[in-house]
Amino acid sequence: MLVSLKNVNQYVSLEGLTAEEIANKLTFAGIEVEEVYTLAQGTNLIIGEVVECVAHPDSDHLHVLKVNLGEKYGVEQIVCGAPNARAGIKVIVAMPGAKLPGGEIKRGVIRGQESNGMCCSLLELGIESKYLTEYQTSGIEELPADAPVGCEDVFGFLGLDDTVLNLKVLANRPDLLSLFNVAKEIAALFEREVKIPSVNKYNDFKTNLKVGSATEKCTQFSSREVKEIVTKPSPRWMSSYLMAMGVRSINNIVDIGNYVMLMTGQPLHMYDADKLAKAELIARDDYSGDLVALDEKAYKIIPGDIVITSDGVPQCLGGIMGSLSCAVDENTKNIYIESASFDGASIRHTSNRLGLGSESSSRFVKGTNHFQSEYVLDYTTDLLKDLCEAKECSDIVTYLNEEKPVKIIKSSLARINGRLGTEFTMEQVKNVLSRVYFDVDVASDNTFTAKVPDHRLDVTCDADLSEEVIRILGFDNVKSILPNLDMKVGALTLEQQRIKNIRDYLLGAGVDECLTYSLVSKKEMDAFNLLNNEEHYSIINPLTDDKEVFRTHILHSLLKSASYNIAHQNKDLMLFETSNMISKSSASEHLAIVLVGNEYVQGHMSPVAFDFYSMKGLVEGIFQTLGIENSRYKFERPTTNLDKLHPGKSANIIFQNQVVGTFGELHPNMYGAYDLGKTSCVVLEMNLESLLTAKVSVTKMAQFSKFPSITRDLALVVDKAVEVKDLIKTIKVEGKGVVVDAYVFDVYEGVHIVAGKKSVAISIVYQKSDSTLKDAEVNEVENKIKFALNKAYKAEIRM
Amino acid sequence: MANEKITQIVANALEKIKASSIADELVELKNTFLGKKSELSSMTSLIGTLPNEEKKSFGAAIHEAKEKISVEIEKKLAIFREKELNEKLAKESIDISLPGKDAHVGARNPFHVIIDEITDIFLGMGFEVAKGPEIESDLYNFELLNLPKDHPARDMQDTFYIDANTLLRTHTSPVQARTMEAKKGEPVRIICPGKTYRRDDDDATHSHQFAQVEGLVIDKDINIGHLKATLELFAKKMFGEKREIRLRSSFFPFTEPSVEVDITCANCGGKGCNICKGTGYIEILGGGMVHPNVLKMNGYDPDKYSGFAFGIGIERVAMLRYGIDDIRKFYTNDVRFIHQFGKKN
Repeated sequence: MLVSLKNVNQYVSLEGLTAEEIANKLTFAGIEVEEVYTLAQGTNLIIGEVVECVAHPDSDHLHVLKVNLGEKYGVEQIVCGAPNARAGIKVIVAMPGAKLPGGEIKRGVIRGQESNGMCCSLLELGIESKYLTEYQTSGIEELPADAPVGCEDVFGFLGLDDTVLNLKVLANRPDLLSLFNVAKEIAALFEREVKIPSVNKYNDFKTNLKVGSATEKCTQFSSREVKEIVTKPSPRWMSSYLMAMGVRSINNIVDIGNYVMLMTGQPLHMYDADKLAKAELIARDDYSGDLVALDEKAYKIIPGDIVITSDGVPQCLGGIMGSLSCAVDENTKNIYIESASFDGASIRHTSNRLGLGSESSSRFVKGTNHFQSEYVLDYTTDLLKDLCEAKECSDIVTYLNEEKPVKIIKSSLARINGRLGTEFTMEQVKNVLSRVYFDVDVASDNTFTAKVPDHRLDVTCDADLSEEVIRILGFDNVKSILPNLDMKVGALTLEQQRIKNIRDYLLGAGVDECLTYSLVSKKEMDAFNLLNNEEHYSIINPLTDDKEVFRTHILHSLLKSASYNIAHQNKDLMLFETSNMISKSSASEHLAIVLVGNEYVQGHMSPVAFDFYSMKGLVEGIFQTLGIENSRYKFERPTTNLDKLHPGKSANIIFQNQVVGTFGELHPNMYGAYDLGKTSCVVLEMNLESLLTAKVSVTKMAQFSKFPSITRDLALVVDKAVEVKDLIKTIKVEGKGVVVDAYVFDVYEGVHIVAGKKSVAISIVYQKSDSTLKDAEVNEVENKIKFALNKAYKAEIRM
Repeated sequence: MANEKITQIVANALEKIKASSIADELVELKNTFLGKKSELSSMTSLIGTLPNEEKKSFGAAIHEAKEKISVEIEKKLAIFREKELNEKLAKESIDISLPGKDAHVGARNPFHVIIDEITDIFLGMGFEVAKGPEIESDLYNFELLNLPKDHPARDMQDTFYIDANTLLRTHTSPVQARTMEAKKGEPVRIICPGKTYRRDDDDATHSHQFAQVEGLVIDKDINIGHLKATLELFAKKMFGEKREIRLRSSFFPFTEPSVEVDITCANCGGKGCNICKGTGYIEILGGGMVHPNVLKMNGYDPDKYSGFAFGIGIERVAMLRYGIDDIRKFYTNDVRFIHQFGKKN
């Protein structure tokens, strides 16, 4: 809402207040002022008269003017390029030293001709072109013949000496879409008197017009007939006020409609009475058919839309826009003025469906005062009399199917202070509420009732009263005290703590934590989905088609982040993200990891390419962090996603008999899709849910043997397909009770080893808990192990 | 006579030890003076020839002499060994400026840094962390928050819809309703960090996806002063002890009174500068007293209970704290960006 302070000043004196003070006070009272600016800008301006205009000798479009600036400054020569420059017109001259939005004016010589100032257009004084005619924007401003030459208060003369506040009106205060109500608010804040204009009553004749409503969506419809108006341009004061409030002046009748709405908050509609078939205006919501609106477009009306009909023909899309057929134009003589109340929700639906909104419809959507139509119509009529030479004004006809609610709220000083944490007195509370136009009645026990003023649609309960008190008196009065509450453990839940532990582990392992969007395109949804084939949710009103699906996996997005980094020469990436995934059948916490390029053993000195085992180590680390022993999970070769991951260098993670994750080196065919070049890339997607809820036993210390251990190495040659995990399992089974550990320390294929075979070297640790092992005992167990390995895997023992 | 001889041998040995210049010489001296064929060793055989009363003292004298020579040799040897070792170590000296092994530590996106830190602040005050679904029903996202269907304030939050009644939550506030429902009339003290979505075009300051931390306290006799103090504490922990906050009246459908909270500008300390547009303050969050209708709808008697709620924009806090100029940077994951936020706070 753009507010003209000059206009406000007519109703509440702003004497002694700066625009900034007003803006500040409003902002703290919950009415944020987003901008403060002067309507027009420029210094050192003066009204002059062109007394001579000759063509510039060295230019085909410039003129050399002699401009009379009055007694004080005399006649100056000014070079001017405007096509409408000519002798006899009165103009705005910016004198040397003038500061205009475009810069400072200096004395100069233009192509050999002295120029001591500039003749201005309103554009050059900061007026936006949307308020100006084409003629005004294409040349210098021509002032009326009575403009006083030598007058230095140019903006005053033009009515542009105004400062504008741009208010951010929040949804609870639609009443502030009225300049009168803004004036009331300012008056309340500065404890000044406000005078809303009084109006004349009219009843020159009884109108034949019938008004009514056949829908609950219109509860109030008032109208008046006005005869023999004359359409012409509005006076300058009107067009200036409209300009300050963001509206372009059209003609007196249109301007009055807009002006009344801006002043009172009540949208009006005017019908050309002679274009209606019947003296009848009925609100209905059962019409279907087309309506050609004022914008000359046809709109399809369906049942539910509010229309105003006359003799069954729609004349107006209620509260939104009138029809072209009964529009007021320059030939209009007699009019009906409509001031009605429409259901905001209905207007909102219709307006959204048709993509047709207006200042009027947005006011109805936000809420209007249903009980001021009589005043509004009288105020409008006063203006019509004044500006349109209206001859005869009828009585007011009204349809009203709504009782004026009397809103009285009960409260007490204790409740107000209790909610605010303040120590205001009853006197203060009463005073504040009275300032904002509540009628307050205080009882002896400091309980009170407050009658809500009509324009305050937002106030319904005593919490609202406490807000009125504090927004006027200020939050500085609120004592800042931490609440004295019962002691409580502030802690994460087990699941939350485990996610944090996993994140901390990965960060410690050097992986960077990322964040990507939840919405992806349909194509991306299927692009790298390793884990979750549940049906995804789609957005029915996406902004763009690359964000129309709620993802069920992270990996594609994280690969895109990797791709972005590679494209920006950021090599060697370790990235992870944890995020909640939602599909139509489940919600689960996911983890994705992408490793690209090299891991660094010592900076860039010993780079080692990331591989399958880099990722496997992180997975094992996660389980270890959570205290889940390696016997509780396993890795299996995947049978799906073989086109996305290297089939021989990928694995599923099996936990609690379910695949909870898949990881591996990227399939060579996938590198191109993410522009990863030839660098190595290993990826993982994991559903963490079962890990987050898994039972983990409390650690109990286990006794360790007091007796020395013996470590012996075993070198085997086995088929390449034999997995080391199985060899170790056999060793542990065979050596039960004596073998306390067995671990691989070398795997070798190549020279000296038959093709298709591999050499595996395993260290075996022997130890007893009750005595020192003897060599003979070790030999016996070792032989048993060798025999078993040979039998199970045809393992050839190397000496 | 014999004792004089011993003294002479010792003196001779000590002189030679002193004169020695390499370890090998000392090994030889050891042999010469202490070996089986040494003079001292051969003198041991004389013990038998001595009268009984002298045997003991003569034996002791030989032993003492050997001990003395031995100690001196070892001392000198130790010096040589140390010198040798030092020379070896000097040769082994490396460039200590080369990078360490495996010293890479992962960094958090500042988004997570802020969430983690806010969580820690409120955990310390006895809050729990609540969670709610990002795909929400109209009921929780709007209706139970005093935003009935067709309420004009719904237009403040342009919404992504799944169907007529299901949507991507536009704020973390539905967790208020969900928590109240779960707590069944018991006191509440929660925060809820989470992702939220609005149908906004992405630019430097707008994002269709962003995150909030919701806070909700419901108990007996809660007032605005408690909200003010809680947020003051938050602001000081998050932005520094010198920061002050101020409250401005505002409007949210689910709180009454509602406030916008401004913090003194970190750049100018409240004097006014370009960043705070000359006001000295920067808006950081919104909050207020839980609207009686919201309490009522969610099973709390507004005459017995009151509460405060607030919502903090994660990216906004991070942008203010770190001087981040574009909200899209959080979602691009350029490691040159992320690596700047590696330190633990």
